[in-house]
Amino acid sequence: MIMKIENKEKILYILIDMKIKPSKFMDIYRQNNGDINKTIKYFLEYENLKLNLETGERNNHDPETDMHKRDKYGYLKVIDYMLKNKVELLCIGDHGYPDILKQIYSPPPLLFFKGNKIKEMEFSIAIVGSRKCTAYGREVAGYISRNLSEIGITVVSGLALGIDSYAHKAALEGKGGTIGILGCGIDIVYPPENKLLYEEITIKGSIVTEYFPAIPPLKSNFPVRNRIISGLCRGVIVIEAGEKSGAVITCEMALKQNREVFAVPGNIFSPASKGCHKLIKNGAKLVERIDDILEEFSQVCQENLKLRSDYNLTDHMKVQGRQDIGVRGNEARIYEFIGFRAKSVEEIVRYSKMEVREVLGILASLEIKQLIREDSFNKYSRLF
Amino acid sequence: MFFKLDSFTLIGINAIRVSVEVHLSRGLPEFIIVGLPGKAVNESRQRVRSAVLNSGFDFPIKKIIVNLSPADIKKDGSFYDLPIALAILAASGQIKYDISEKSCFVGELSLDGKINPVKGLISMAEEARDIGKKYFLVPCEIASQASFIYGVDIVACKTLSEAVEAFTCRENIRKFICRDKIGSVSSRGNSYDLDFSDVKGQLRAKRALEIAVSGRHNIILIGPPGSGKTMLARRAVTIMPDLNLEECIEVTKVYSLYEKYVNRLIQERPFRNPHHTISRAGLIGGGANPRPGEISLAHRGLLFLDEFSQFPKNFIEDLRQPLENKEIIITRSHLSYSFPCNFMLIMATNPCYCGYFGDESRKCVCSQREIQKFWKKMSGPVMDRIDMRVTVARLPEKSFINTGTSENSNKIKSRIEKCLRIQNERFKGKKISYNAEVGINIINEWLRDDKKIRDLIYTISGKYNLTARGTVSILKVSRTIADLENSDIIKENHVIEAINYRMGYGCNPESNF
Repeated sequence: MIMKIENKEKILYILIDMKIKPSKFMDIYRQNNGDINKTIKYFLEYENLKLNLETGERNNHDPETDMHKRDKYGYLKVIDYMLKNKVELLCIGDHGYPDILKQIYSPPPLLFFKGNKIKEMEFSIAIVGSRKCTAYGREVAGYISRNLSEIGITVVSGLALGIDSYAHKAALEGKGGTIGILGCGIDIVYPPENKLLYEEITIKGSIVTEYFPAIPPLKSNFPVRNRIISGLCRGVIVIEAGEKSGAVITCEMALKQNREVFAVPGNIFSPASKGCHKLIKNGAKLVERIDDILEEFSQVCQENLKLRSDYNLTDHMKVQGRQDIGVRGNEARIYEFIGFRAKSVEEIVRYSKMEVREVLGILASLEIKQLIREDSFNKYSRLF
Repeated sequence: MFFKLDSFTLIGINAIRVSVEVHLSRGLPEFIIVGLPGKAVNESRQRVRSAVLNSGFDFPIKKIIVNLSPADIKKDGSFYDLPIALAILAASGQIKYDISEKSCFVGELSLDGKINPVKGLISMAEEARDIGKKYFLVPCEIASQASFIYGVDIVACKTLSEAVEAFTCRENIRKFICRDKIGSVSSRGNSYDLDFSDVKGQLRAKRALEIAVSGRHNIILIGPPGSGKTMLARRAVTIMPDLNLEECIEVTKVYSLYEKYVNRLIQERPFRNPHHTISRAGLIGGGANPRPGEISLAHRGLLFLDEFSQFPKNFIEDLRQPLENKEIIITRSHLSYSFPCNFMLIMATNPCYCGYFGDESRKCVCSQREIQKFWKKMSGPVMDRIDMRVTVARLPEKSFINTGTSENSNKIKSRIEKCLRIQNERFKGKKISYNAEVGINIINEWLRDDKKIRDLIYTISGKYNLTARGTVSILKVSRTIADLENSDIIKENHVIEAINYRMGYGCNPESNF
């Protein structure tokens, strides 16, 4: 009985058993003007020819039929693994393979994924940043990601610690959802701290990788992975990046791929924001509010998204309550004093001329109301 | 040719009576000590012989048998030199004691007849009183250590001859009685060289320490190098209330076991600051002949573990039971020894391996994983017993020369004393005496009619992912804050201030990094 073998299986065979590099595969793909069937045929005929040479026979039957018999390097194992673990596979010609990703120079021929978001997403933006973020970065990542997700934009990031994790977490709350791109096989949760997050994303979003199962998170994988992050998105937002960081690399990729680059400014003294500032100097758009991002896509947004009419130019900051923050009396006095540059407890006490215990009480209650934040030990600054 | 005197041996911190019996008989000259003598006791034969001869007495040329009864308890130490010598002198008929029945004796002899100090004098003095003795002969050098024990007269003698003089005639004894007693342990000013006002800034940490000392909450100070954690901790002892006589005696008991030359009643709160290379026995107590460890030496005072994260993890686990029980029981095959260890724990640590996490001006170079690893070691059961976690920041240079004066220790101390009185009143007749020791049922009692506070607690614990223990800690600290303000009920602002000492930046590694 001859079974119809799907394209993805053939590509798996080509990449695993014939040991063709994905880049080589994509070269041929481009030569064939993006016809996946022709590309596959090209490789299988080549394989057939090679076999004929080896055996010295002339064996002209269709190479597809006994593909599984010739499996030396275990592409069948991969398929087996995928069936057992509910991992799915998209190949470049498939319906559901993100169109936007096809536009980049070297899209991955295969995408392993868990969770269906990748097939459904309409409009996505990447949020990248430092693994060692500050409290400020955490705040910003959460804020931007949450708001994007709320209006239906999918947030893409790299599932690393720091900014990535906070962006994913916040995006899970909204309807936009989130997609995490891995730099290793889909069976590996890296970093292990993010196990819970990984599982949550497989349910409400997507975990995606171009790597075969069991590929470890090698250092060299991550820059390669970054091209998918930027490739999947219309724009890349950088929140806190050091001078030489993966986030900056992602931005370079994004520019090559003709994507918008946004950067969130930070404290000028903070080494954590150096990379962002450099990007802004070089022309990245400075992000203060969600609208700064949406403006750039107003054309596309309205076409591709059935957004709520009120999203436009809604100042989310305002909604969160600059007008009435509900503090009175001494609380208000201290809140006013704190300002946006961090003030130490000692300074606050000296200014307010109140007892330490009263000041500490007020600081705690302001913190509970999420109006101020402890920037570094015993130093507070305003959030709004 | 038989004579018997009473002396003591130490088991842990307690003394028990040992009878020194001497029998001289005819036969080949011999000098034997029986009754499980240790090495030091056996060697006392040589010391006694020389001391007796050098004090101008004759050493009997007879078969001398000394029995230390009860004979089944191991005896070690040099306590028995003096009683053995005195008993031999009496048994050989050279002297006649007037009041040996009502007296007891300890002391080490040197070869010239001088009486040298021994350990554990004050415990023995107490036991002497309890078994109804009237006189207790002790080495003169350290006599004042024991002179606060009422009900037994401490006879302080410098030499064997003086001891003989004192006990052969009832009138003579008066001039040897140690009269160092003062009416009571008087209220003292700050007897330390340190003062709280030395610390500039650090208002939160200072306030936290005041609360911690008031309610006897254990506290951890977290801060980068050079932020003043150690400085603060050292000064915490200056704001602890004075020891009362009973407590002084307890403390002196422990110290007299630890070193011989405790020549006074210790009246300061102990402050112990062991280095992290300490051995387990050194920290907890132990050894073949169990000795008090640092936790017992900190009894009624402060145990300060600096660079807490450097201590081996199992040592820290060892602290759990003593923290709960206020007593450590060390069991060896033959006996159990108990030492008191009712101490307040202050710990200090950097926030991460490099030390600069949360610092304003220097960037921390630790990865998140490292920071988590760092905190993992400390989390768990011991951290649960620490009610307060306070961050200490480095101060900018200019604030060191800031001339503004801050409160001195005595002023803070008087507030704390007031607060302790309130607690004593509250816990009268209960097993506990400090807010930090209360259980959840008592806290529920406090909050029974206060829905507002309960709601506040729910909000906070939800918001900050507090564990049950964390919530209880906040409530205990709130109670102490309320006591400091002399308020009968816990008010909202007390709870909110208490949150400060739990939630600080980086104090909650699970949620903050």
